[in-house]
Amino acid sequence: MRAQALKGHLDGMLLAALEGGPRHGYAVMEALRAGSGGQFDLPTGTIYPALRRLERAGLVHTRWSEDGGRRRRFYELTPAGRRALELERSAWREFSAAVTALLGPQPWPVTS
Amino acid sequence: MSGDGVTGAAEEVLAAYLGEVAARLGGGPAGIRRDILAELGAGLADAADAHRAAGLDPAGAARAAVAEFGRPARVASGFRAELAVARARRTALTLLATGPMVGILWLSAALASHVRTPPWRWAGLPADARLAAHLAVIALVTAIASAVFTVAATGRLTRWLPALCSRTSAVLAAGGTVAIDVTLLTLFAAQAASTPGRLAALPAAIAAAASCTRLALATRATRNCLPRSRS
Repeated sequence: MRAQALKGHLDGMLLAALEGGPRHGYAVMEALRAGSGGQFDLPTGTIYPALRRLERAGLVHTRWSEDGGRRRRFYELTPAGRRALELERSAWREFSAAVTALLGPQPWPVTS
Repeated sequence: MSGDGVTGAAEEVLAAYLGEVAARLGGGPAGIRRDILAELGAGLADAADAHRAAGLDPAGAARAAVAEFGRPARVASGFRAELAVARARRTALTLLATGPMVGILWLSAALASHVRTPPWRWAGLPADARLAAHLAVIALVTAIASAVFTVAATGRLTRWLPALCSRTSAVLAAGGTVAIDVTLLTLFAAQAASTPGRLAALPAAIAAAASCTRLALATRATRNCLPRSRS
């Protein structure tokens, strides 16, 4: 998947990866890779600043927690984060429906 | 990073990567920097574990983890933007918190000195002191408005206001504060030089000291919040 195409939707995908419950940064990355069938290939290091931006915007909150002998920073959706995810989702549905219709193989109506 | 098979050479590879990111983070609140590096370190160790589980030897797994995370310069630049925003927010909050305090100190100094007339009518002031006082009021309004905007832009409204705005407004807030303190201290110095007997020494000295401290803080903040043109 092209990095440029991913970038505009990174926030929404990060929020979606947290929908099922709290995750730490690397687990978010693994969820995105697994969920996209390996198509999600942004450098792992770049999702950490993005997660911090979401935290600042009040869409996720974080806590440090010991897990498997390692201290990790866990991210969890806030109610505002859930609302933002729903908005991203419906905006994407509309956009992808329009693009699918335009790129589809059916003949275009004659306009002139 | 122990007990997970990440040892010796592998640990060196991860530490070197973290060092390269740390060197490129630039300034910013020390606590947040530490937090960033701790989180990145845990993530790298997780990645190395995953590559080991996939069959690589410890050193190979560490190299794969580092490659997966991306160039240190790219990772650091993402964090630098966040650190700049954090610094702008901190500056604005500090100015908002200290502003009323410094104001009250100057007010008490004026009251203790029985100064009932506005500062620009104080005895011995140059004729253009009135203009300076008016400019200070403009600076005050600008500083407060910019500080409030900065706090909003770096918090919940951050999705609608770009980070660059918050940096500019933090510079405005700090710059306005510098202008206020310079004006207050100049008026104070002129008064002290012409009719020192009218000033209540202790309250005036405390207010001047507070203004000097804040002046140093605001000057440094202005410099720090400006984008670096070099390096």
